[in-house]
Amino acid sequence: MSEELTGAPTFLDKFPQEAAVVRAALWSSFIALTLGAVFGIIQALHRTDILRVIDSTDYYTVLTAHGVLMVISFTIFFLVGAFTWAIVRSFDRNVEDIRYTWTWYGMMVTGTLMAVVAILGGFVDSIDLSADVLYTFYAPLQGHPLFYGGLAIFLIGTWLAGADWFRSWRAWKAENPDERIPLQAFMVLTTMLMWYIASIGITIAVVGFLLPWSLGIIEQVNPLLTRTLFWFWGHPVVYFWLMPAYLLWYTVLPTVAGGRLFSDPLGRVVFVLFLLLSTPVGIHHQYVDPGIASGFKLIAMTNTMFLLLPSLLTAFTVVASVEHAARQRGGTGLLGWLRALPWRDPAFTGMMLAGLMFAAGGFSGMINAGMNINYLIHNTLWVPGHFHLTVGTAVALTMMAATYWLWPQLSNRRLFSRPIGLAQVVIWFVGMALMSNAMHIQGLFGIPRRTAEPQYQGFDFATTFGSVTELNMQLAVGGTLLFISTVLFVGNIALSTGTPKLSGLGEELTEPLSAAHDSPEILDNLKLWFGIAFVLVILAYMLPLASIISRGGVFGPGVDPVPVIAEPIRVGIQPLVASVEPTVSRVIAVVGSVVQ
Amino acid sequence: MSGENTVREIGHDEFDPKGTLVLILIYFVILSIMWVFMYFVEFLGNDLSVIA
Amino acid sequence: MNIHNYEKIWLVLAMVMIIGFISTVVYGATAVGIEMISDEPDTIDSTALDEDDRFSEPRVEKVGDNEYEAYVIAQQFIFRPDPITVPANSTVTFYVTSPDVIHGFEVVGTNANTMVIPGEVSQLTVEFNEPGEYGILCNEYCGGGHHTMEGKLIVQPEDEFEQGGNDE
Repeated sequence: MSEELTGAPTFLDKFPQEAAVVRAALWSSFIALTLGAVFGIIQALHRTDILRVIDSTDYYTVLTAHGVLMVISFTIFFLVGAFTWAIVRSFDRNVEDIRYTWTWYGMMVTGTLMAVVAILGGFVDSIDLSADVLYTFYAPLQGHPLFYGGLAIFLIGTWLAGADWFRSWRAWKAENPDERIPLQAFMVLTTMLMWYIASIGITIAVVGFLLPWSLGIIEQVNPLLTRTLFWFWGHPVVYFWLMPAYLLWYTVLPTVAGGRLFSDPLGRVVFVLFLLLSTPVGIHHQYVDPGIASGFKLIAMTNTMFLLLPSLLTAFTVVASVEHAARQRGGTGLLGWLRALPWRDPAFTGMMLAGLMFAAGGFSGMINAGMNINYLIHNTLWVPGHFHLTVGTAVALTMMAATYWLWPQLSNRRLFSRPIGLAQVVIWFVGMALMSNAMHIQGLFGIPRRTAEPQYQGFDFATTFGSVTELNMQLAVGGTLLFISTVLFVGNIALSTGTPKLSGLGEELTEPLSAAHDSPEILDNLKLWFGIAFVLVILAYMLPLASIISRGGVFGPGVDPVPVIAEPIRVGIQPLVASVEPTVSRVIAVVGSVVQ
Repeated sequence: MSGENTVREIGHDEFDPKGTLVLILIYFVILSIMWVFMYFVEFLGNDLSVIA
Repeated sequence: MNIHNYEKIWLVLAMVMIIGFISTVVYGATAVGIEMISDEPDTIDSTALDEDDRFSEPRVEKVGDNEYEAYVIAQQFIFRPDPITVPANSTVTFYVTSPDVIHGFEVVGTNANTMVIPGEVSQLTVEFNEPGEYGILCNEYCGGGHHTMEGKLIVQPEDEFEQGGNDE
């Protein structure tokens, strides 16, 4: 991030209307992050029994809010902001219709507000509104329809956002028929194609089952079916979080470091691999589920292990790009070049620390993927330990660090304080190292996740490295540092709105060392990759879903809803549905048996 | 951002990411050791594995 | 396509590692004999568990020489039976189900860990050696009292078990 004025126009100068949408999306993202962080520290202090300011039953309201605000709102609002910037910048053209852009953004805001209001209603006992179902909302736990409706509207908003960017692509392609898709645009489009495929599962679960069920239109659902449909989406959503971070590592970090991207072609290959492999793996979240045959779990495991490849390749390409920057800056030696890097720049250091932490998070993910070793850590605190390293740092810290670089270009104002930015990213890293380390170790003792009070009456946890009390302190200290870091981040950005307007803050991105034209044109054939990805996910899910339905029925083998609200709204068309249900089940069973 | 702190420009054919190779090999070794430890000591060494 | 030699080296190593991970897991599944929870037991009507031979009376039952079956219900917010009592030096197959919401069944400090999904029955077989005690906890959020949901698994010396320590 330059202290000098380059004299170049910023994104705001060239595309003021689009810059306004990007800023709005980022603000939505940061508001969600702030509220999510408040809930996060409440949790960290509550489950460690250090400070309990709420009832333990309310903990689950807090936990639901924390999950949804962090991994739905914070991450995805940032994604749509960053992707709008990336598309407009790399095609160097305005969006096709700025009103359409504001419309999908508005839908996302509406959906978020609906879901969040439903969740926060859980704090108010006197009203029937709540959704104490956690981010995964597994049936038969049932939330208020406003919750499911809000999620659906939010999701549709993201689809419309993708359509906006595809429209831009089509328009750009008409004027540039012989050119390779610019790398940033390529990454945006492949990510959205993956998202459309991933959305199939959760859309069927929410719109087809859970929302009508919460309205009383259908009486029961098959919990294993809706759970499987959730995880159909639930794994690829993590790539929806990661791919924007990768986009920033591939296309922004080299410039920030003072160098050039090592290889554009490899970036394309990596994103194509994510498009192909992100979805046919969801069953690895269900390794110890009954009702799913081991063969399907083995296939999911194998696909998941190969899904490591694009991340491992990314590690090489990104580090090589940074090494290039270091050597251009005069760095020498086998590892001494590390010192020649701009460590005082919070954008640089933040992204580097995020990448370093991802190396550790990747490992705990490899363990999670290992089918039978999953018995050791399933639903223990190891799992949140893992994902706080990945979405919680690799993604979140990269998004914060990139904001330090991007914000001046969206606002024509300098960052309020670079030193505070630098302190913020370091505090995040230290806090997360402490908290996540404690979580991983406690998980190995068998201490569970998702619980308000992991203190049991009838037994003690057998400990090996460190006592539970010491680890609880570590967790709480780490969580507190993370909260402080969040406040520093959002405060810094908020105060940046008050620094003087300047011109000439523009930053051009450097060109890759190995250019797009060095790669086979087939990489840009998005239809081909989408088609293959679609076939792969059908192959991965057709048989397991058919099996679940033929064994237990579309609407379940007899399972009542368990509302976490007093009474679901009844809409009174049950007789119609009851008459249709057996036929639907039979049709699906026939299809299933033909397929088998 | 070259021009500001750039001491020299390094083009495509002149660059060998030796440092990256060293770092990634170290990472490979750490991953392998951690995997073996986790699988054979922590997991297989634990009670009550599910055998059927 | 131009891929630097060093990146090619890493690509090969990455594939070796991935194959290594897959092989380890397959080794565990075959040579060591670890089985995954699967779809072997039929589905069940979770609103009618009292009509099922196994779950109308949650219990541990002898089915052969040193072979037992444990029928366990996980429900808001207890496990039944509590405690689950089995003899030392035995092979026990657990059948676990739920009449209400999704739960987890985790024998603390061990690899015995399964989801419990209403409508499905989780089947897992483990071997018990020396006498001792384990805690059981629910590791999947199941409602406002989730954190109170715990149980006990007691492994009794064989003679003690024979003398009638196997009632609920």
